[in-house]
Amino acid sequence: MNRALGKLPKGWGGLTHDWGSDQRVFKGIPWNKAMMWIFLLSDTFIFMCALISYMTVRASTAASWPDASVVFELEIFGTSVPLLLIAIMTFVLISSSGTMAIAVKYGYEKNRKLCTIFLLLTAVCGATFVGMQAFEWTKLILHEGVRPWGNPFGAEQFGAFFFMITGFHGTHVTIGVIFLLIMAKKTWQGDFDTGRKGFFTSVTSNYRAIEIMGLYWHFVDLVWVFIFAFFYLW
Amino acid sequence: MSQYKTQSHKIGIYLWIWALLFVFSFFSYMVDYLNFEGTLRWTLILAFMVSKAALIVAVFMHLFWERYAIVNVLLWPMTLMLLFVGIMAADSEYTLLTRLFYFAAGS
Amino acid sequence: MSDEHDYKIEAKAYTTSSSGAAASSDERPDEQELYHSKSWWTTYVFSQDAKYIGVQYLCASTAIAVLALVLSVLMRVQLAYPDLNVLSPSAYYQAITMHGMIMVIFFLTALFLGGFGNLLIPLMCGARDMVFPFVNMLSFWIFLLSLLVLVASYFVPGGPTGAGWTLYPPQSITAGTPGNLWGLVLMLVSIVLFVVGFTMGGLNYVITVLQARTRGMTLMRLPLSVWGIFVATIIALLAFPALLVAGLMLLLDTVLGTSFYMPAIIAVSNFGKEVTTDGGSPILFQHLFWFFGHPEVYIVALPAFGIVSDLISVHARKNIFGYRMMVWAIVAIAALSFIVWAHHMFVAGMNPWFGFFFAITTLLIAIPTGIKMYNWVLTLWRGDIHFTVPMLFTLGFFITFLNGGLTGMFMGNVGTDIALSDTYFVVAHFHFTIGIAPVLVVFGALYHWFPLMTGRMLNEGLGKLHFWITFIGAYAIYFPMHYQGLQGVPRRYYEMYDSIYASSTGLNEFITIVTIVVAVSQLIFFYNVINSAIRGEKSKRNPWKANSLEWQTPTMPPKHGNWNKLPVVYRWPYDFSVPGADKDYIPQNVPPSQVRRAKVEKT
Repeated sequence: MNRALGKLPKGWGGLTHDWGSDQRVFKGIPWNKAMMWIFLLSDTFIFMCALISYMTVRASTAASWPDASVVFELEIFGTSVPLLLIAIMTFVLISSSGTMAIAVKYGYEKNRKLCTIFLLLTAVCGATFVGMQAFEWTKLILHEGVRPWGNPFGAEQFGAFFFMITGFHGTHVTIGVIFLLIMAKKTWQGDFDTGRKGFFTSVTSNYRAIEIMGLYWHFVDLVWVFIFAFFYLW
Repeated sequence: MSQYKTQSHKIGIYLWIWALLFVFSFFSYMVDYLNFEGTLRWTLILAFMVSKAALIVAVFMHLFWERYAIVNVLLWPMTLMLLFVGIMAADSEYTLLTRLFYFAAGS
Repeated sequence: MSDEHDYKIEAKAYTTSSSGAAASSDERPDEQELYHSKSWWTTYVFSQDAKYIGVQYLCASTAIAVLALVLSVLMRVQLAYPDLNVLSPSAYYQAITMHGMIMVIFFLTALFLGGFGNLLIPLMCGARDMVFPFVNMLSFWIFLLSLLVLVASYFVPGGPTGAGWTLYPPQSITAGTPGNLWGLVLMLVSIVLFVVGFTMGGLNYVITVLQARTRGMTLMRLPLSVWGIFVATIIALLAFPALLVAGLMLLLDTVLGTSFYMPAIIAVSNFGKEVTTDGGSPILFQHLFWFFGHPEVYIVALPAFGIVSDLISVHARKNIFGYRMMVWAIVAIAALSFIVWAHHMFVAGMNPWFGFFFAITTLLIAIPTGIKMYNWVLTLWRGDIHFTVPMLFTLGFFITFLNGGLTGMFMGNVGTDIALSDTYFVVAHFHFTIGIAPVLVVFGALYHWFPLMTGRMLNEGLGKLHFWITFIGAYAIYFPMHYQGLQGVPRRYYEMYDSIYASSTGLNEFITIVTIVVAVSQLIFFYNVINSAIRGEKSKRNPWKANSLEWQTPTMPPKHGNWNKLPVVYRWPYDFSVPGADKDYIPQNVPPSQVRRAKVEKT
C-alpha cells in the first residue's frame, strides 16, 4: 500500500486528484479511522460551542468573574500555590498522550506485550486525571460552597460552567479509560494478531483499532489544552 | 506488514514532542504565576495554547503525514468556529453595554 | 480519465486499482466485511442491513408524523371554531410545540437522512452495505428510544412543553408556560438522544459515500439524491453540536437552577427549589439554537433537492441540466447556511450591526437556490415528460418551493422582517418551504422507490387522486396565510377573537375545512401502500427505466449484499435520450463497448 500511496500526486494537486478519483477520497485511511476523525470533528464543535457559551456569558454578565488562580489554588507545605492541582492534571494528561502514542507505535510493530503495557499506563494516567478532577469537585462543593447555581466568589455562572465543561470533559476521559481497558484486554489476548471478530460488532480485529483509540485519546487531551487556557488561565 | 510502515515512527519523535508540550505547559502556567496582565497575557496564553494544540494534532494524531484531502476537511470548519467566536464576542459586548446603560444607575 | 481508461477497467477484474492505495485486501470494495445474521431477531428487528434499517426509519418517522398531523388538525379546529374549546390555551401551545418539533426533527430529518439515506446510499454508491452496520443498527434503536421519550412527555405532570419548538428561555422555564418542568426535561432528553443516535447514523452515511464507492464511481458520477443526502448529513454533523450544547444548558437551567440563560428576574421555582437567577444571557440560547436551526432547514431541503433532480431526469427522460453546477450549488447552499442564522433574530435585541451582515448572507443564499430552480426547469424543457405520479409530485414541489423561497426574500431583509416577524407570513413561508415542498418530494420518492423496496407498483389512479388533493389542498391551506400575515395576524395565538383583522380571521374556517380534507385524504396513501405491498401489481425490474445503480441489482428487491459481483461504473446516471442509442437510457454500469451507434460524452 505504501508504494501505491507514494505514487499518488502530493500536495494541492493531490487534493484535487483525491476528490476527483473513484472509490475513496481519503487514500490510505481505512473507513473506521475516517469515521473517528469525522466524529472528532463533530465533538470538537460541541466543546467549542460550550466554550463559546462560556465566553459569551462571562463577557455579558455585569457581575464580577472569580479569579480562577485564587479559586483553584492548593495549599502545600504552608504556601498557597495557584492552580497547582490543574498543573499536575495537565502534566498527567499530556503524559498519557505520550504513552498512547507509544502504544500505537508498538501496536503497529505487533509488539503485543509493550503495546498492552503502554495502553494500561495510558488508562492509569486517565483514571488519575479523573480522580484528581473528582477531588477538585469535592473540594469545591464541600469546602468552598460552590454550586451550579451560585458560589461565594463572584458570578454564579462560574460554578455552572465549571461543572458543565469539566463534567463533560471528565465523562469523555472516563469513556476513554473504559475503552482503553477493553483495548488492553483484546491486545493481551492476541485478538489483534488473530483477527478475532468483535463480540458486539462482529468486525475483524486489527491493530488499526489502537491508532483509532489513540485519535480519540489525543482529542481528549486537546480539549483539555483549550479548557486549561480559556477557563483556568484567562 | 509493510502497510504499517508509514504509521510507525522512531520513539524519539514522540519523546521530543512530549517534552515540548511540557515546556509550553510550563510557560503557560508561568504566565499566570507571574501575573502578566492585559493584551500580553492573552496573546501569550493563546500562542502557547495554539502551539500545544498544533503539536498534538500534527504529530500525535499524525495529521502532518496524512494527505491534504483529510487535513483540509478537518481544518477548514474551524474557521466557522472562529467566525462564531467573533460574532458572539461582539454580541456579548453589546449585551453588557445595554445592561450597564439601562440597568446600572439607580436601579 | 479517458475513454481508454474505462475500457481498461472493463477488461480487468478488480486486481488493480485505478486510483491507488487499495492494494491491501480488506480495503478493496468487494471485500467489505458484511454481517450475516443468523436469527429472525437479527434479520428483521435488530437488522444490520441498511435497507431494512431504512424501512424501519421510514415507518417510525411516518408514525410520529401522523401524531403531529393530528395535532395540527386539532390546532386548526381550535382556530376556526374557538367556541368549541377543543384546546385550552395551554393545550394549544403544547400542540404547536410538539407539532413543530416532531415534524422538523423527528419526521423530516429522520425520514430523509435515516430513511432515504439508508435505503439509497449503499445502493447508489455501489456498496454492499454501510461501512459500520452495527452502529447503523444502534442509530435506529436510539432514534426509537428518543421517540418514546418524546411521547412520554404526554404522560408526565404538566404535560409536554408548550414553549414553541424553539424553546426560548427564560419563558420555557418559568411558570406560566405549560410543561415547564417534566415536559421540558423530557423534550430535551429526547433531543439529546436523537442527536446521539443521528451522529451514529450520520457518520455511516458520510463515510460510506466518501470511502465505499465502487470502481469507476467518482463523486461527480453520483446521483444527485446521494449528493443531497450526503451534504445534508455533513451539515447535520456540524450543526447538531450547537443544539446539543444549547439543550444541555437549558436542561441544567431547568433542573439545577443554573443561570446560563436566566437573567435577573423574579425567583424561579422549579422542582421545589427556589433560586434567584442573575446574569445569564437569553440571547445566547437563540444564537446557539439558530446556529443549529438554520442549517437544520437545509438538512431538510437539500435531500429533497437531490431527490427531485433524480425524479425529474428519470420521468422526463432527460439528463439533468448543469449537473456540475447542481453539485456546486448544493455545496454552496450548505456552506452559506452556516452564516445566515441570525436572520431569525432580527427583532430579538441583538447587536444591530448584525442585521447588515446576516441580511446580506441571507440574500446571497438565494443565488445557488435560484440556479437549481432554473436548472430543473431547463431539464424539463424539451424533455419527454411522462406524467407519472412521481413526476406530478416533483412539479408540485417546484411550484410550492418557488413560492416559499420568494417569500423568504421578504423576511431576509431587516426592514420588512420587522413588520412580518412573528406573523402568519412566517408560518406560510416555512410551511411552503419545509412543510409542503419536501413532503411532496417524500411522497414522490416513495412512489418512485416503492417497486425497489417491495417488487410491486403502487396504484397509479389512487396515487394521482392523492396527489391532486394534497397539492391543491396544501396550497389552499397555506396561501391565505400570506394575506393574514401581511395584515399583521400574529402567530402562536390560540384564538383570534373578534379582532381588527376580521377579513383575515374569517379565512380560518376555510383553511380548517381544507386541512381536515387533506389530512383525511392521506388515508388514501396509506391504504395504497398497504394494499399494494400485499397484492399490488408486480413490477418488472427497473420499471422506470432509470440509470442509477440501485435499479441494476440482480434481484428486486435487492438481496442482502445487494449484488453478486460489485458493479463497475462507466458514466454518470443521466444518460437519457442519447441521440442514436437503441434505448432512451444507458445505465451507469453499461460498459462503453455495449453502447453502439451513439456518441456518449465523457462524464
